[in-house]
Amino acid sequence: MDIATTREDFNTRKFFAGIARGIAGALLFALPMLMTMEMWQLGVYIDRTRLLLLLLANIPLLIILADRVGFEETSTWRQAVRDASIAYALGIISCALILVAMGVIKHDQSAHEIIGMIALQAVPASIGAMLGRSQLGGQSVEEGVEEEGDDGDPVHEGETSYAGELFLMAVGALFLNLNVAPTEEMILLSYKMTPWHALVIIAASLAVMHGFVYALSFRGSHDLAEGTPSWHAFVRFTLPGYLIAGLISAYCLWTFHRTDDIGSTQTLMTIVILSFPGAIGAAAARLIL
Amino acid sequence: MTKISNDKNIEPGAPHWIEWITGAVSGIIVLVVIVWIGKDGVMDRDTSPNLHGNVVRTEERSDGFQVLFEIHNDSSATASQVKIRGELRERALVLESSETVLDFVPGHSKVGGGLIFQQNPAGKDLKVRATAFDEP
Repeated sequence: MDIATTREDFNTRKFFAGIARGIAGALLFALPMLMTMEMWQLGVYIDRTRLLLLLLANIPLLIILADRVGFEETSTWRQAVRDASIAYALGIISCALILVAMGVIKHDQSAHEIIGMIALQAVPASIGAMLGRSQLGGQSVEEGVEEEGDDGDPVHEGETSYAGELFLMAVGALFLNLNVAPTEEMILLSYKMTPWHALVIIAASLAVMHGFVYALSFRGSHDLAEGTPSWHAFVRFTLPGYLIAGLISAYCLWTFHRTDDIGSTQTLMTIVILSFPGAIGAAAARLIL
Repeated sequence: MTKISNDKNIEPGAPHWIEWITGAVSGIIVLVVIVWIGKDGVMDRDTSPNLHGNVVRTEERSDGFQVLFEIHNDSSATASQVKIRGELRERALVLESSETVLDFVPGHSKVGGGLIFQQNPAGKDLKVRATAFDEP
């Protein structure tokens, strides 16, 4: 992050560059959703309790993300909270501007509709703003993580880092899920699929997820310590990651009213199909973030 | 715990027990989902929907009487573009009818909607049923 902590080293140019990166990130991540019809409609009819829950859940998510993904100088929770609020505000402002620019929001609409649309879209946009400011920022994320691992007792360190990996997977899954969960294609796909298709999708999701992180040797990919059987990583990372992708999918579908009054198997099938992009998002997050 | 070095992250050989518990619990949940869906794949082999409707309640509104209905699908096959027709009858004579279309009625699920009538359905024979559907 480019905001200085004391008045003396405050750098206006760097500050505005940071803000601009945030807006760029918000655009990069939220434009697909800003241009999705279902997202506009959802903004109008989404149950306000579910919307409120999503908006509230986004706050700790942004704060932990600010702390984890680590802008250069984010070392205290206070700074993380500040970064999170800036990212949220950038998300809200960019969404409002773009929705107005595209003619989705018009002056004769009720405040209820306008606020609903902006609030819903601001969630992915704020995550984008946060990631944009770190990922497009050009500083080394790895350094921060290594430093973090240098202090503290080993057991605690092991726990937090494992939780951190799972958290990153959740963010990745949430990100890809939010892109596709509101579309009608998701439920349509689950109606077209038979249970057998769903089982193939589960197997494919697990295979792709594991392959992404351990087999394909992308930049940032993971290896096991020597002498560890490869199924260890499958049990410790891929299975929990897939479960997380599934839970995030279920949450997104519930938030977007895609599970209301739907039978249990049908709901599971929708979760399975949505977990497919979710699993890939989770795996990609482990490589990128 | 993951150590990061030179763009390659190394998972340690002796992980914390929490990682194993998380992995085992996740594995069990994924397995339950697979068994659940697999069971339906074997047992539930309906090829066409089975739709029936019922009236939930009638509400008086400024523009007439609003009849809220539910369409249930007892089969595992999903119906799309389900045409719903409500008829208000008195002694076999159709007084008024109203129609709507539901996008989807998924398998083993119910979907609600509303029909608006000018006359009060109270004391008259009101039937809501599906008249046509597409396959998704």
